[in-house]
Amino acid sequence: MSGVGGTLSAAAPIEVKPGRHREAALYHALHGAGAADGRSLAELREAALDAYEHLELPVWRRSGFWTTSLASLDLDALRTTIDERSVPDVATRTLPDRPRAGRIVQSAGAVVHVELDEALAEQGVLLCSLERAFAEHGELASAWYSKRLPLDRHKLEAANAAFWTGGAFLYVPPGVVVEDPFEIVYAIERRGIAQYGRTLVLGDRSSEFRVHEYDVAENFDGPALHAGAFEMYLQDGARCRLAQYQDWGSGEVFDVSTRFVGVGRDAYCHWLPALLGGHLVRHHDELAVMEKGGDMAFRGVFCTEEDEHLDVFAVDLHETGPSGGDVHWRGTATGESRASFEGLIQIDPGSQRTHTYLQIHTMMLSPKARIDAIPSVLVSADDVSASHGGTVGELDETAIFYMQSRGLDRAAAVRVIVEGFFEPLITQLEDEPLEQLVRARIEQKLAAAHEDIEAYATSR
Amino acid sequence: MADLEIRGLHVRTEEREILRGVDLKINRGEIHALMGPNGSGKSTLANTLLGHPAYEVTEGTITFKGEDITEAEPHERAKAGLFLAFQYPVAIPGVSVANFLRMAINAKREGGPRDGAHPEGRTLKGTGRQAGGEPIQLKEFRSRLEHAVELLDVDRAFTSRHLNDGFSGGEKKRAEILQMAMLAPDVAILDETDSGLDIDALRTVAEGVQKLHDEQGLGALIITHYQRILHYVKPQFVHILMDGRIVLEGGVELVERLEREGYDQIRQEYGDEVAA
Ligand SMILES: Nc1ncnc2c1ncn2[C@@H]1O[C@H](COP(=O)(O)OP(=O)(O)OP(=O)(O)O)[C@@H](O)[C@H]1O
Ligand SMILES: [Mg+2]
Repeated sequence: MSGVGGTLSAAAPIEVKPGRHREAALYHALHGAGAADGRSLAELREAALDAYEHLELPVWRRSGFWTTSLASLDLDALRTTIDERSVPDVATRTLPDRPRAGRIVQSAGAVVHVELDEALAEQGVLLCSLERAFAEHGELASAWYSKRLPLDRHKLEAANAAFWTGGAFLYVPPGVVVEDPFEIVYAIERRGIAQYGRTLVLGDRSSEFRVHEYDVAENFDGPALHAGAFEMYLQDGARCRLAQYQDWGSGEVFDVSTRFVGVGRDAYCHWLPALLGGHLVRHHDELAVMEKGGDMAFRGVFCTEEDEHLDVFAVDLHETGPSGGDVHWRGTATGESRASFEGLIQIDPGSQRTHTYLQIHTMMLSPKARIDAIPSVLVSADDVSASHGGTVGELDETAIFYMQSRGLDRAAAVRVIVEGFFEPLITQLEDEPLEQLVRARIEQKLAAAHEDIEAYATSR
Repeated sequence: MADLEIRGLHVRTEEREILRGVDLKINRGEIHALMGPNGSGKSTLANTLLGHPAYEVTEGTITFKGEDITEAEPHERAKAGLFLAFQYPVAIPGVSVANFLRMAINAKREGGPRDGAHPEGRTLKGTGRQAGGEPIQLKEFRSRLEHAVELLDVDRAFTSRHLNDGFSGGEKKRAEILQMAMLAPDVAILDETDSGLDIDALRTVAEGVQKLHDEQGLGALIITHYQRILHYVKPQFVHILMDGRIVLEGGVELVERLEREGYDQIRQEYGDEVAA
């Protein structure tokens, strides 16, 4: 993988094959209008239910590389419960104690906690469940809900659109600048739960704010599902730093989610998902510049272990120009885990003067782990620069020996290398408590995989 | 018994035998020079002394302060007070020189090897003067770093750069000696630390080594191709390594002879001993 600014290595357009799973369509940018199209929430739920009933569980397949199958997911064995009342322990344990602008917590299907800084509420900031937003701010919620998210590409997407309860809604009014983060929490406490999370975030003109999403689960035995849908729209001149801390624990948690962030005129988004745990995780994360002058930085880290399976499709979409993009992901894998990353840069016709770059760096830390990374570029404008690059690395034994010769034991040396590998992105969170949390979780995962890493070293 | 004692050392890599019976004794406070043609096995010896996994000791022993360390892990040797300034220092991205040094000092301070870390039960006593368990206080660390930075005449900002990452050849060599000064080993092996240094840098680095010797009683094995460095650091002992064996030993006069005659003369003289 390599690319030089100005050269376009356009991937062949992906053929949409007919077929029940419509696999190929799942590797397209969402691109274009979402499901809403003037329909009411009730109408959308009905359409989604209909889709749910005739669709099958999806399979994501990149032949020769990976297959993400939900064959082992038994939907009938899962229930959506809405009688939760308290903040789950795992959320209390995980979230850093730090100043915040507000916090909303959903456990299973129910929102169990909402708080918002009073001064912000007075300035017109809204933070509440999405259900409540539809009840109390119907016009605002309906105007944006599902504006860009579809509901019928696969069964779990339809399930989310049909069955979601609770949900999170955040609105930051024009010109409001908030330093501390809004925290949105989805927590799963017990096995057997199907959680359909639905988030809508609106940053009005020239607002500036941070959103930290936490996706966490207790370490239970057995299956659970989080099928999430997240949309964020940033209007003229708005700026947002969005981060996700995802750690579904050691249970058999499936996470199939779609996220769309739309960047308006001269707006900016810095987005960094930290994907740090989950039995099977399939994300479609799309960051789109929708209007002129929009700019974005799309970062991501992942760190799979044991038998985790991660499949990320990250899209850097430019619907118009001039616009800027910068995608940079880093990931490691230990144990027998599988991590698949496809990064797509798509530049639409007429998006002149767009400059974007995609890089993905990976490091395999054990013999049975596997990481695949496919960068692709689809360009339909001529006055642009779009390129990609990346590295596939293994532990550098000369670096390990170097550090050992200074007195660090092998495990410490490996930690230094891997932390150094992630550090350039972690510091970009620009938020000390969250940075510490991410570092600590990565360190924990590496410590757990220590024997594995050792075995790998001696096998080479 | 000498502090570092190498006896009848045979070392091979996967392909072939590189060291074929090396004997060498180095004490604290002694300065030794090791010279020899390219490929004669100097770096192999240096790396083997620190336990590089690519080199297998097939015969012979290495003892340090009375302990057999032939099979010890590299970090145990470092903790015991050995140091290697690498011929080709490795970049460690994402870690600043200062942070790395603190980690290394604290690692050295940690008591003996951790429980269970050494299944074969190899342990090292005498882990050097720095053993003491407690991590170094920030204040003490700063003042030591300040001192080392001055000694080696490097820019203060240097210590916040990522270790060896994008360093020039000369900067890398200085960073090696900076680490040596901070870690205060008993015996240091300097593998061609003088190559790639301009004349001023060479003087600074060499004087730094001499000072550590004078003030702290450092013992050193200086591997070099050139007489230059030996003008600033005076070796008491000179060893010539050819084809995996030490073929000649003596004082500084050997260096001059070498400059005059070259290795060919010596090879002819000791030819039968170093038959390929
Ligand atoms: N890891 C290795 N694997 C295979 N061969 C090696 C390895 N290390 C060294 N050798 C070989 O062993 C021989 C001695 O190498 P070494 O680096 O010890 O020489 P040197 O005396 O340090 O040379 P120079 O003066 O060029 O630094 C060379 O032929 C080299 O190619
Ligand atoms: Mg050498």
